[in-house]
Amino acid sequence: MLKPGKGIPAASLRLGGALEHWTERHLRYLMLAPTMLILLALTIFPSLYMFYAAVHKISPNPDLPWQFVGPGNFARLLTDAQFHAALRNTAVFTIVSVSVEFVLGLGLALLLDRFIRRLTFLKTVLMIPMMLPPIAVAITWKIIYEPQFGVLNEIMFRLGLPLQAWAGDVNLAMFSIIVADVWQWTPFIFLLMLAGLASLPVEPYEAAALDGASSWRQFWDLTLPFLKPVIAIALLLRVMDALRLFDLVFILTGGGPADRTKVLSLYIYQVAYRFADPGYAAAISLFVLFVTIVLSTWFMKRMRLAD
Amino acid sequence: MATTTLPTRSRTREWLIRLSAYLAILVALVFTLFPIYWIAANSFKFDIDIFAVPPEWLPRNPTLKHYDEAFIQRPFLRYALNSFLVAAGTTIVSVVFGTMAGYALARFSYPWQWRKQISFWILSTRMMPPIVSIIPLYLFFNYFDMLNTKSALIIAYTAFNLPFATWMMKSYFQDLPVELEEAAIVDGDTRWGAFLHVALPLARPGLAATAIFCLIISWNEFLLSLIITLTEQSQTLPIGIAGRVTQYKTYWGEISAAGFMACVPIVIFAFIVQKHLVRGLSLGAVKG
Repeated sequence: MLKPGKGIPAASLRLGGALEHWTERHLRYLMLAPTMLILLALTIFPSLYMFYAAVHKISPNPDLPWQFVGPGNFARLLTDAQFHAALRNTAVFTIVSVSVEFVLGLGLALLLDRFIRRLTFLKTVLMIPMMLPPIAVAITWKIIYEPQFGVLNEIMFRLGLPLQAWAGDVNLAMFSIIVADVWQWTPFIFLLMLAGLASLPVEPYEAAALDGASSWRQFWDLTLPFLKPVIAIALLLRVMDALRLFDLVFILTGGGPADRTKVLSLYIYQVAYRFADPGYAAAISLFVLFVTIVLSTWFMKRMRLAD
Repeated sequence: MATTTLPTRSRTREWLIRLSAYLAILVALVFTLFPIYWIAANSFKFDIDIFAVPPEWLPRNPTLKHYDEAFIQRPFLRYALNSFLVAAGTTIVSVVFGTMAGYALARFSYPWQWRKQISFWILSTRMMPPIVSIIPLYLFFNYFDMLNTKSALIIAYTAFNLPFATWMMKSYFQDLPVELEEAAIVDGDTRWGAFLHVALPLARPGLAATAIFCLIISWNEFLLSLIITLTEQSQTLPIGIAGRVTQYKTYWGEISAAGFMACVPIVIFAFIVQKHLVRGLSLGAVKG
């Protein structure tokens, strides 16, 4: 670590040199201050404000005063069936989509790492989906899922399978959302795993091969443990993103049919704007914030990500 | 004798594994590329051909009709411009402050465990789901009469781009050898000068990658813009697209054209930053 203020040049002793000297001595705080202030204003302040909103009944009419209801909004969480559905849907979506993405992404990375020599171009092509605007992804899948003229039903027809309503079907809606998400985000896992694989040490594998270990054993005993830090980061970021899913559901299903794809973000949005009940929406938001903070802190502490 | 048959058998097996691997990669490629091809193909079809059953795999009568509808007759050009201005504003703010903070966290020591605590806290703000801040942000912008303005969007987007930029730049600065800056200080430069004249030029590739990532993140953002903006003068491209998916009618051709055009700059950007993708996507945690 360098000590700031070590080499003040003679030039700075001119007029204004005192200011320059002061700046130089406090540089470590000055360089950090703008970011800290902006983030404090944009995260801590809203969170505190939300506590205030959550204990009030807020009328959509801005002229009416807020009505204090104490823990009323939080009590509603216990009995609100739609909230419970949203919670369940979010959990199902997060667990299923992240698991599928992980298995596919890791599998594909292992295949490419082993069998393809010149990776760069293929890698870049395969990673396109995750860079695209989620809204563009959503409408793309909307066209594919369209029951009347969509490509997916054409494929079902050719295979002699029954046609489906996909995103409009009670039982297939969540599946449809998950497929679109898997399409967009498998490349993310894939890319991180590929980077992890590229940095594996060679010697342990040579030793294992000498000992006659099968490739399966090598995968479990060497590759997976070596990849663990990268896997942890990939899963953390994916889980955090999955918990905030909004765009895909908003376009593909609107939360329907029969609330089967209503996830927490969408429900908060609906409570705040369609049902015009920001106080209750704030209470749900605080719940979501609490869950994400607990989850991510536990994860980051465990992985020592902050180092 | 068994030794002569074993290599042949394992060679066939090796060959089969190889073949199935190539097949799997091919399937992945088709699965990845088909949806992108499909939205592009649909954007060049007349409505009647979009609705064709069986689908028209190649546009038979290609047309630019939907591009005309979206970008000339409807205000999608305006939306795209808004998207760009907001993304550019957010990127400038995030990269300038994020670079300074990232440098400070990479180079300076702080009393107690501040360096670690602050890094950790900045990262955790990135984990915050945007939906939880929409209610306070909405009420805040409403109070200051800033709803439907691009400045409001820039402020809101900075909340999640700044932590990203800070962590990215921190990771790039940590990769630079500290000796060069020490040499500059020995030669009479100030600490700030060493940052400005030595570290910053060396971190230029990282700076460019960070900026492009910020552009992409802001360009793609949907939820905050949906809540903060209601007018044509302030809405971004994703909101414009979503607005053409209504309860009664979906303007398939128009959204395909606009959606495809929204993807084009992103794909170009992605190719430019491909070397930095891994680091960018993992917030600097995986070097790639």
